[in-house]
Parts: sequence; C-alpha cells; structure tokens
Amino acid sequence: MDTYLVTVLNGLAMGSLLFAIALGLSLVFGMMDVLNLAHGAIYLVGAYVAVALTGDGAGPAMFVAAVLAAAAAGAVLGGALAGMTRATPHHLDQALLTLGVALVVAESLTVVFGSDVHSLAAPAPLDGGVQILGQTYPVYRLLVIAFGAILALVVYRLVERSRLGAVIRATVADRAMVSALGIDTGRVLVGVFAAGAALAAVGGVLAGPILGAQPGLDEKVLLLALVVVVVGGLGSVRGALLGAVLIGQVQALGVALLPEYASFLLFAAMAAVLLMRPAGLLPAPTAVRA
Amino acid sequence: MTPALRLEGLTRSYGSLTAVDHVDLTVARGERHALIGPNGAGKSTLFATVAGTLRATSGRVLLNGRDVTALSESERARRGLLRTYQHSSLFLGCTVLDNVALAVQRVQRVAHRFDRPARGFRRVQARALEHLESVGLAGRAHDTASELSHGERRQLEVAMVLAAEPAVVMFDEPTAGMSAAETERFATLLEGLPRSLTVVIVEHDLDVVFRLADRVTVLHLGAVLASGPPAAIRSDEAVRAAYLGAARTEDLFTGGAR
Amino acid sequence: MKAVETTAPAPAVAARPRRPARRGRAVAAAVTAAALLAAVPLVLGAYPVSMMTRMLAFAVLVLSVDLLTGITGMPTLGQAAYFGVGAYTAALVGVHLTSDGAVQVAAALLAGLAAAAVTGWIAVRAHGIVFLMLTLAIGESVHQLADTWSLVGGGNGLAGMPPVSVLGTALPAAGFVYWWVLAVAAAAFAVVALVARSPYGRTLRGIRDNEARMRALGYRPGPAKFGVFCLAGAVAAVGGALWAAQVRFVSPGDLGFEVAALALLSVVIGGSGTLWGPCLGAALVLLVRDNLSAHVGGHGALVLGAVFVAVVFTMPRGLAGLARRPRRTEARS
Repeated sequence: MDTYLVTVLNGLAMGSLLFAIALGLSLVFGMMDVLNLAHGAIYLVGAYVAVALTGDGAGPAMFVAAVLAAAAAGAVLGGALAGMTRATPHHLDQALLTLGVALVVAESLTVVFGSDVHSLAAPAPLDGGVQILGQTYPVYRLLVIAFGAILALVVYRLVERSRLGAVIRATVADRAMVSALGIDTGRVLVGVFAAGAALAAVGGVLAGPILGAQPGLDEKVLLLALVVVVVGGLGSVRGALLGAVLIGQVQALGVALLPEYASFLLFAAMAAVLLMRPAGLLPAPTAVRA
Repeated sequence: MTPALRLEGLTRSYGSLTAVDHVDLTVARGERHALIGPNGAGKSTLFATVAGTLRATSGRVLLNGRDVTALSESERARRGLLRTYQHSSLFLGCTVLDNVALAVQRVQRVAHRFDRPARGFRRVQARALEHLESVGLAGRAHDTASELSHGERRQLEVAMVLAAEPAVVMFDEPTAGMSAAETERFATLLEGLPRSLTVVIVEHDLDVVFRLADRVTVLHLGAVLASGPPAAIRSDEAVRAAYLGAARTEDLFTGGAR
Repeated sequence: MKAVETTAPAPAVAARPRRPARRGRAVAAAVTAAALLAAVPLVLGAYPVSMMTRMLAFAVLVLSVDLLTGITGMPTLGQAAYFGVGAYTAALVGVHLTSDGAVQVAAALLAGLAAAAVTGWIAVRAHGIVFLMLTLAIGESVHQLADTWSLVGGGNGLAGMPPVSVLGTALPAAGFVYWWVLAVAAAAFAVVALVARSPYGRTLRGIRDNEARMRALGYRPGPAKFGVFCLAGAVAAVGGALWAAQVRFVSPGDLGFEVAALALLSVVIGGSGTLWGPCLGAALVLLVRDNLSAHVGGHGALVLGAVFVAVVFTMPRGLAGLARRPRRTEARS
C-alpha cells in the first residue's frame, strides 16, 4: 500500500514535468499544425544547462540561474524554429526541418558534454526527504508536483481567461478566420512557440535531479510528450494536463511493476484511448467546416 | 414507380443557422431535375447532405425507396448516388486517365488488385478512355490533371462521375467556368445520357436549365419555394414576388451580378 | 510538392507518342542497373562490398517508407520499428533455429506483417502530420521495448548470429552475402514496383491526392490504407532481415528514431513517389552516415541534421524532381 503511494507520487511528479514539456508541443501543433520534433532536443538543452551550472552540487541560487538560462535558451531556439517553419509552406517539410534541428542540437550537446550519463543532485536545502505515511519521500519531487499544479493554474488562467488566450484558442480553432479578423497571428504564433520551448527547457532543468542528462534522453522525452498530446487531444491545455497526469501514472506504474515492458504499457494506454476516442480525451474544439 | 430519389423533411443546421430547412423533394427515375435559387440558398449544402458528405440534422434520404440516411458517403456512392463538386475535386497528382480509371476500376471491382500492372486491365483502360472521349479529353489522357485548364477540369469532373456508373447523379454547377463551347458540349452530353440515369443539377445558366430540365425546384433560404415544370416556374408569381420585387425572374436566378 | 505550374495550359498535345519509348528506356535502365549492381563484388574489395550490402538492405526499408509516404501520402517515422522487428526476428531465427537465409527472410516478413497489423489500425485512422506523430510514437515504443526486453538482449543487442546460408551452403565471403541480399532486395523492389503500377497503386495515389473524393467515388480508404501499411511493414522487415544477414548483430539502435529519420530523409532527397530516387537517396544517406562521420569525429548526425535543413530549403522535390524538371520544360517549349 505504502509503496503504491510512492508510485503515485512519482507518477504525479512525472506528470508535472510532462505537462510542462508537452504543453508547447500541443499548442504549437494546434495553432500551426507544426509537429516540432526538436522538442525533445530542447528539453535536453535544458538538462545540459543544469549539468553545466549545477553539476557540482550548487545551491539554490545557481539552480534558479540554471532555470532562467534554460528558459532563455529554449525561447531563443523556439523563436528560431518558429521563424524557420514559417518560411516553409508544407507540413511535412516543416516536420523534417525540426527533425534536422533536433539532430543538430542533440549531436552538438554530445560534442560538448560527451556521451556519459550525468546524474544531478537536487539543490542543497531541498535534497532531503520527508516522512509520508512511514515512507521517506524526496522533498524535491514534492516541489516538482507543486510546480506542476501552479503551472497548470497559471496556464489555464492565461489561455482560458485572458484576451491573449482567446486569440490562442481561436487560432487553434480556425487560423484563417483569426487572420481575417485582422489579428496578427504571426507574433502570437512565434510567442507561443518560444514560450512552449522555454517551458520544455525548464522542464529539462527541473527533471535533472530525477532523470539526469544523457544522449538519447531527448527521444524518450519526445515520445512521452507525443503520447501525452495524442492521449490528451491536440491543441488543448486541459487535454495536455489530463494526458500528462495519466501518462505520468502509467509510466511510474510501468517502471515500478514491469520495467521491461514499460514502453509497451505506454503504447497500450495510447491505443486504448484512441480506440475509444480517436481525437484524444479532451481535444480542442475546432471550427465547423462545411 | 418508386422515385429514384426522395427527400423527406431533410434538414441541416449549423447551430442556430439552418442551411437546409425541411426540404421535401421527389425525383422520378430518369428525370432531369434542376435546382435553382440565389447564392446562399443552400443548394450546395443540400447536395452535400444528400450525398452524405454532411450528416443530416433531421429528415430522411431515400434512394430507390431505400433509406440511406444512416449510410456513409462511400456507401451511398456504392449504391449509385454520386455527385460532382462546385469546385473541381480531382486527383491532381495523377494522370487524367487515372482520374477516370479510379472511378472505373471501383465499379469493375478491381481497385485492390496488384497482381499485374494497371495497363494490363484492358477493360478498365478502354472504358476510362471512352469516358474521356465523351467529354473531349482523350487527347490529354496522359497529362497530369494539374496541367488542365479550369474548363477542362470541369469536363474531367463530369467524366469521372459518369465513369462511376451512377443511378442518380448530382451536378453542382457543372458549367461554371466552362467556355461557351464546353458548356454546349456538356449540354449535348447530358442530353445523350441514357434515361435509366436520374440527374439532379444545380445550375446558374438558365439557358441550360430550361433546355435540359423536366422539372425545376426553386430553393430559397434553405427551403423549397416552388417546384414544377419549367414553364410553370418561369411564370410563378410566388417565385417572382418572393425575391424579385419587380425585376425579371431570370436576373434573380442568375444571382443578379452574373 | 506540386508540379511546376504554368499559367497558360499547353495546347492539347495529341496522344503523346513518347510513352512506349519511355517504358522501353525504363526496362533498359533497370536491366543495366541490375547488371552493374551484380558485378560489384567482382570489381570492389570486401569493405565497399559490405558497405553496399548494407545500402541495399537500407534501401528496402526506404522503399517501404516511399510506399507509404510517396505513393499513399502518409508520411511515416515509424518504419524503423518494422525494420527492427525483421532484423530481430532474423537474428533470433539465425541464433536459435537455422542459418538458412530464406527461412530468416520469410520469418521476418511474417513478423513484420503481424507487427504492422497489430499497430497499424491505430495509425491509419489519422491523416498527415497526426499520422506522422502516431507512427513516431509507435516506432519509439518498439524501440524502447527492444532496449529493455531481456529476451532480445536489451540494450546490449543480439549477437552471435551465424553466417547466412542459402540452399544449404554457408555463404563463404562478403561477395556471396551481397549477391543474396541483392537478389532479395531486387525481388522486394519488383514487388513494390508492381504494387505501385497496379490498380491498387492507383487507388493509393488517389488516397494521397484526395481522400475525400475517393470516398465520394464509393471507395473505403480505411482498409486500403491498412493494407498498404501491413505491406510496408512486411517490406521493411525484409530489409531488416537483410541487414541482420550482413551485420550479424542487432541492437536497439537499429530501430531507433535516427534510422526512421534517415529513411524518411532518403525518400525526401530521392523524391517521393518515384521508386529509384529513394533508393539512390538511401545509398547517399548511408554513405554520409557511415563514411563522413569518421571525418567529423563520429558526429555524423550533426552533418545529417544540417543536410535535413538544407534539403527542406533547397530541393523540395528531391533528386527525382531535379531529374524531371528539364524534361518538363522541354515538353513545354
């Protein structure tokens, strides 16, 4: 029972990270039909920023610096990707473009940091554990869960309640119509692309003490984010949140019970959801097409 | 005799907007039935709902007496209910011949064969070429469809739908964008079609309408305003009053600006 | 990815006579290519021959990607999974059952068919980029499974595969393995070429160009797409078996994201929709990955990533598009 609690908490921590990572992927896809295959590589940039700045057990100040640096790097990469994809008209070409960028970025990281597995410690005052129902659980992971909850609230308010959010949602539903209304979707698109990439990079820093940093991690994270987006439904914040929580649990459960078949379990979960709801659990509403 | 096509209270709405409003329509077998009305009268939505591209909000579609309302577009097509599109909907990356052959090979039930090259299926190729000839496109059989002019694309659209051997065919503004010569060829082609075929046609060119149609239905704001033989529709006071005020009927039917 | 459009349509070119001539030329080109390829082991040394063997195996994978992406219009990043299923199946058969190449290829074919059938029904319901996304998710799931499953060696991969034998004779040298791989690859090419030219291939191109119109003509695109997905899975698995026959070691890296990406890149470079273009693309891509990477400190992926970006910006129709362009203008003038 108690180990089950640990698994649930691990799943929630994973879900928080996945939400931060998958959100940008989902919104960018929903708004401009661009599948950003470099999303995992951007996450890895964040993870290696953490390695560079906090690799030798730095304090909270350096950790915050790493978060900010990763956000900046992610935003720059995301902005560049937005600019490049907007210059190519075809969706397949856009996906290939991001794929190329993904290979270049991931390989560059290997050139700089080598192919070793880096593991990271949580920043000094947070690296302890607390007692929950007789189990010791890392404080840091609880904070990650809290971060996920706060991020979900902030993003929900921003996208579902603000004027900017209204433009974002309308663009997901019907891009041509929003442009026709005279709203400059270009800047919003670039902004969402950059913000989503920044979140993914921050996710890389926050996940550092849990998943570490190593070549190939970008693929694993991209897969998880893709599954979250597919399960949750494309282009919707609530879908990304639900998908992230669900996949976080599936992943934690799989790793705890059947580590060899964890990825099979992931696929089965995705297949089950798509069998029942081909558009995902909570897809964004799209405009009526006559 | 069972009518070829019968619509009973067919309705299609988008939220509060009702594009097709309780349309009742009966088209006898072999009839040439024209559907007219100003732009926005709901003609294209009606076609899409009858063909199954759009789901009916309520009402029924009966094809040869059988209720097909619950069937998908593809199943309706297999039962012989086909349509053309107002804006040509072709296979632009394929050759002109392939466009028509796609329809022919489905009818001849060889669409999923891969035991020999397509050109080895002589009956398909020959039939497809016949259909191309009937619309005057045989000389362009091996060109890519994207190389065709706008008028030629309309011709190809006609050849393709006839190649699918329909029982009921719905033409959505077939002559829009055709030259005068092409329109004439189309009208002649239509006149020459066997009477086993039932034709519903949305058309703005009233010369074509009154030359071909046995019966005419006027659609206004998604509902049937009048239905009857061409002569009766021409002189129908309700039609005239409903949307003309004083102008001549022809002007209204052609959408005014055309 | 549309043809170069001209504003004024060419006047109706009366029944073009160049078609039969082109067919004759195509046959001649195929025979010449086969003869040249068959002569390779007589001319080149062991290393280039083994290199070319791998190119042929990879080209079979690329053919399967072209079948989906170029002909049916379903861009895929998941074919490496079925390639891997084929490679692992052949290796397992080789280690535990028999070194007979034909048995290995047949087992791989069936395994690939089965794997594609089990996973494909989810993917074929999606369109375009969502399809790409789903195939990537499927491919990565299979990759992670291979990486963790101890039955197939996990992250260490599967080694110890004995040399392939054909008709009871162990193939003694690289040249004979090459001929075996060439023969099977040629058969795979012939099958894919036949499908592409058949009525079914026409159906698939119809789905690529306008799936909604296919439905309006009475087609059921779903089963047709599922069928080609299974076929592509089988073809990719045959490629995997050939790969295993040459390399005699299979690791999770062989069915990873990078392989899937390279296969798609080969199709794009080679020009999607044609068959010979992607095969050339496959050779080129593998050449870059395996040879050039030695000159850039083992970081070939860096070069390939740059190639991806360059390809998107410079040659949207690929090698085959480059070759076709002059002929088009010639036909117009």
